[in-house]
Amino acid sequence: MNYDFRYTASRRGFLAAVAGAAISASMRTAVASAIDERQIKVAPGETRFSGADGPPTAVWTYNGTVPGPALRLRQGQPVRITVENGLDEGTTVHWHGIRLPNAMDGVPGLTQPPIRPGESFVYEFTPPDAGTFWYHPHADSLVQIGRGLAGPLIIEEAEPVAVDRDLLWLLQDWRLTKDGRIAGGFGSMMDASMSGRVGNLVTVNGQAQGGQTVRAGERLRLRLANASLARMMALRFEGHRPIVLAIDGQPCDAHEPEDGRLVLAPAMRIDIALDMQGDPGSRHDVIDDFYDGLAYRLTTLAYDKAPPLRAHPLDAPQALPRNSLPEPDLANAVRQEIVLQGGMMGGGKLAGVGGMTGMGMPGMNGGAAWAINGMSMTGDGHAGMAPQFTLERGASCHLTMRNETAWWHPMHVHGFSLSVLSRNGSPVPHRQWQDTVLLAPRDVIECAFVADNPGDWMLHCHVADHQMAGLMTVFRVT
Amino acid sequence: MKLTYALTALGLAIATPLPALAATIEAVMYKNPQCSCCEAYAAYLEQNGFKVDIKPVNNLSQISSDAGVPADLEGCHTIMVDGYVVDGLVPVDIVKKLLTERPAITGITLAGMPAGAPGMGGEKTETWTVYAFTKDGKAPTVYAKE
Repeated sequence: MNYDFRYTASRRGFLAAVAGAAISASMRTAVASAIDERQIKVAPGETRFSGADGPPTAVWTYNGTVPGPALRLRQGQPVRITVENGLDEGTTVHWHGIRLPNAMDGVPGLTQPPIRPGESFVYEFTPPDAGTFWYHPHADSLVQIGRGLAGPLIIEEAEPVAVDRDLLWLLQDWRLTKDGRIAGGFGSMMDASMSGRVGNLVTVNGQAQGGQTVRAGERLRLRLANASLARMMALRFEGHRPIVLAIDGQPCDAHEPEDGRLVLAPAMRIDIALDMQGDPGSRHDVIDDFYDGLAYRLTTLAYDKAPPLRAHPLDAPQALPRNSLPEPDLANAVRQEIVLQGGMMGGGKLAGVGGMTGMGMPGMNGGAAWAINGMSMTGDGHAGMAPQFTLERGASCHLTMRNETAWWHPMHVHGFSLSVLSRNGSPVPHRQWQDTVLLAPRDVIECAFVADNPGDWMLHCHVADHQMAGLMTVFRVT
Repeated sequence: MKLTYALTALGLAIATPLPALAATIEAVMYKNPQCSCCEAYAAYLEQNGFKVDIKPVNNLSQISSDAGVPADLEGCHTIMVDGYVVDGLVPVDIVKKLLTERPAITGITLAGMPAGAPGMGGEKTETWTVYAFTKDGKAPTVYAKE
């Protein structure tokens, strides 16, 4: 299950990059380095979750594969990615977690028109931060991600990080019927108003029940990305002690997670250092036990029989070099608050659902099940979304997010990384920056960022059903 | 033979307020692992002569849909009991009526989470309509009102 990082179009991409550089140089003066050219075609296809001999499942793909090809880009090097839409419906690509110009953010209606069937859109940006990111559609997201559209996006450090191997596990959750097809019923009101469309098959790099071959003594950098629609995960590496190096692509102080458990909500990424201190030939399960009573084995670390790579364990892993994120000025920050409301057992606080203890099923008849500050923006993004608040460019914003619902919400902010200050009044350690912050029921999170990037930016829950049913807002940076 | 006996016992249970006379009715509840109302409803059933095996599942809407519950009438959990589907917070006397009358339907459902329903807090503020559904594509019909 070793992920193949090679990008199949690299040779063609290289030639195009040379040509692109020549053209750009004649038109612009500021281009310092060659533009990296990539092509992505979105189209229906099929995949086999249980190896080459398993039954095929019809899916939607980037360049014919599930997950899509790993895009490995260089920090600070401009890239131009042409996305061609071979679906029968509009799509966009959101480069999740990348700080980029607003027009490249891939939100239909808000930052670009959807790419219509048969048409293409060229995304151009220069990734400022090294780390683990991912890409996915932001149009009809529930269906498009649920049918397989997701791919890893790795921004490489200028200087390689000292590990023996750099691995990636892109985790996807599928809701399949008994005969192995992707189940219909997208947008069910029960899913929308409870925990979202959690599935019944989890894959690692597109494969179910595979194993990760490892060698005794080696140090892995393992990049974990949860590309599920709704499934929260809490991973335990039996017999091993993962060290967290980065969250959502942004390096933090190297630390062991609480209880050795890596909580990874939809859209989150965690990079860990994993020292393989097991015996040659041994096997160790990786367990996801997020949901009570529903723990399962995600995969297995399978040691080959070779003797250990080194005689003595390595020293503790070093922190990764930090990206140059602007530091918020907390003393002079503008304070904003968003309150998450609604859902089942939500006390009926949602406007239009009634103020009683019980309620009809929120989200019934295609209505909103959730709201932010009393307002439900539903769907994937559309023109004319009025900003919840406006920030002057360059201002520091101290943002409080308050979850008044009975459900978990990974809140994703587009265009920025947030310095996470506190959770329920306790300081958050390890100097963490995140673009997707998980709020447990009733949690209050305080975070801060510098509004240095102009545009209308989305802030929404990344449980796709929750976003579609109203857990979404927009803010403006002038 | 056994079935007839059980049904007679059930009939007695409905006729008298003493649930101890009824045989224990086995039920399996599929529920969202993070929803607490369903557990309160299961406890309510257990106080009324049922034995409820709670199974947390992440794909409840799929189970409910496979069980034939119409999408616009989903309750917050799905119970399989004695050959029937009981979806949502249906009052126990209506469940027992179903198991006694044994109509030719797939099951019954009380949509949503109405205030005052068993397992929910609050005061009952409206008439609840419990619908009967089948798997033959016919429109749901009213089974009971309370």
